[in-house]
Amino acid sequence: MKGISSRLTLTMAGLFLLVVLLFVADLLIGSTRMDAAEVLRSLFGHGTPGGEIIVTQFRLPKAITALIAGAAMSVSGLLMQTLFRNPLAGPDVLGVSSGAGLGVALTVLTLTPLFTLSSGSALQGWGIILAAWAGAGAVMIIIMAVSARMRDIMTVLIIGLLLASAISAVVSLLQYFSNEAMLRTYVIWTMGNLGNISYPQIRALTLSTAAGLIIAFLMVKPLNAMLLGETFSRTVGVKMKSTRAVLLASASILAGSVTAFCGPLAFIGVAVPHIGRLIFGTTDHRTLMPGLALCGSAVLLLSDIISTMPGGGHIIPVNTVTSLTGIPVVLWIILGRNGIGRRF
Amino acid sequence: MRTGKIIAETFDLSIGYHTRNRVNMVMEHLSLEARQGELVALIGRNGTGKSTLLRTLVGLQPELGGRVRLQGVDLHAIGSSQLPRIVSFTSTEPVAVRNIRVHDVVALGRFPFTNWIGSLAPDDEEAVNEALGATGLITLANRSIDNISDGERQRTLIARSLAQDTALLVMDEPTAFLDLPSRYSIVSLLRQLTREQGKCVIYSTHDLDTAINEADRIWLMTGEGIAEGAPEDLILKGIVARAFESPQLSFSSNTGTFSFIRKQQTGIALEGKGLAVRMTERALNRCGYTRDPQASLKVTVSESHEGTEWIVLRNTGTEHYRSLYDLVSSLADEPVQ
Repeated sequence: MKGISSRLTLTMAGLFLLVVLLFVADLLIGSTRMDAAEVLRSLFGHGTPGGEIIVTQFRLPKAITALIAGAAMSVSGLLMQTLFRNPLAGPDVLGVSSGAGLGVALTVLTLTPLFTLSSGSALQGWGIILAAWAGAGAVMIIIMAVSARMRDIMTVLIIGLLLASAISAVVSLLQYFSNEAMLRTYVIWTMGNLGNISYPQIRALTLSTAAGLIIAFLMVKPLNAMLLGETFSRTVGVKMKSTRAVLLASASILAGSVTAFCGPLAFIGVAVPHIGRLIFGTTDHRTLMPGLALCGSAVLLLSDIISTMPGGGHIIPVNTVTSLTGIPVVLWIILGRNGIGRRF
Repeated sequence: MRTGKIIAETFDLSIGYHTRNRVNMVMEHLSLEARQGELVALIGRNGTGKSTLLRTLVGLQPELGGRVRLQGVDLHAIGSSQLPRIVSFTSTEPVAVRNIRVHDVVALGRFPFTNWIGSLAPDDEEAVNEALGATGLITLANRSIDNISDGERQRTLIARSLAQDTALLVMDEPTAFLDLPSRYSIVSLLRQLTREQGKCVIYSTHDLDTAINEADRIWLMTGEGIAEGAPEDLILKGIVARAFESPQLSFSSNTGTFSFIRKQQTGIALEGKGLAVRMTERALNRCGYTRDPQASLKVTVSESHEGTEWIVLRNTGTEHYRSLYDLVSSLADEPVQ
């Protein structure tokens, strides 16, 4: 027992160190070339004016966002997988991401022309965020209402998938009737962006993520019981309906907020829980929850560093990085274990 | 004389389930009891409602009428935090994860006793170790649930139930999918728990053999209701035979076993002694022959230091065979009269 717990402490400390290193690396590496000393001087307000803007207004918020969003998406994915007893469940399956997308599509594709907002204005930033939040929240309320009526959790999963499809059809329709500039704004949002976020927005993201994570961590005991099945959970005293509602709410707050501020981040929510289980060799949520938060932060920070690789002021959309680096990882896990199957 | 107190009882219980707009009654007027230190086997054919009854007993499904009492208290009067300390339930539900240790599965049985984060206090750890010990799983405690046999996995679930430290253990088909030795070892483990720890165990099964040999009490579900009693009571009253006999199957009350009814029967004379002749009769029965001393066809089993030999005497002459397989193959070619 002692050996196991000290190995766990070591793994956790190692991951924490990795996150710190990646965070620093994310500050040092960017699309504009700056040496380490210059970055440090800029960070503490002694750099060139240009450098200071790059570091404090662009790199620092981006790195903080990656740190928070990675943790939030991973934990949200973990909650979904345990709740639905499905290794391929993730924040996107419940339609939370597509709900946020619908909110954004409605705002960008139908309302924007009325206000003729210039790209990147603060008003447009908050507008998109609030729209995405409203969309994700609406879908979450529908799903909760359905799950309160349905005894079978699989039915809820299927309804979530159908809802997501229906929403994407509506979004397609909106896209069809919109002009090129509006379309471009929307498509760029769907590609994910960690950098387009101000400090007040970071504060809002941090608060909602903290709320989601705290709620999630309070649920580790019933989550562990749920690994052995719903019948077992009920017979040891878990109140399934309220537990489900709380878990759905927590997962939606986490995924909905991140999607609202950063756009839909593909792959992280589904894949990081599997990477975490592999690293920690356990399914105990007491370990997985903090462990996955660290893994998720590390993965998203790394993705962000990769997205700035082309240099010369160019940045690849972070969503394409998480997909292109993430899908091989998931594939490797699936093939290496002869398939995820119905269990995880 | 057993004087265990009554752990579970039902009064005029009706079981079934609600569908969208009607009530699907499975069985009515059930008055049953199970006592401390008793192994109760619930048997019955598929679809008679065994799971429904068990799920109603543990409060997973509402009763449609009548009452369930556990330890003398009405099921509805027991608080939702108290119920898991009185009864544990093991279903056939699969474990969703493969990466979980035997010890951790058993530890989850302590769920009703642990704090908000589920950490094990010293007495929880002790209860887990006792449960692992009683089920013979100590050496497997650190193995993952995916790296043990089906029988060991079933033992793990029984240990989890034991760790929950309840007076009543209800199990839905704990011997399903197990091979014969594992089935016997599981049922004898359950029996041992009733004897050594005074538990009351109610389990459903399709395995009539082990139930008749090991259970103290049988609840036999038929289309008409449930017959209750010692296995031998039910055999004496002919209830077991009535419940399971079919055109293809007959029950022998003498041995307590079932056998197939063969259609075409040809007479055959059989001579010899001991186990060899009993095996020969079995083999002959299987291919449609029945023992008849007057028959013109005759098999003699002779045993010598060279081994067993079967001599077939026909109208046309005699033939010698060295194994029952060869004997039966030659008789299978015989035109049926």
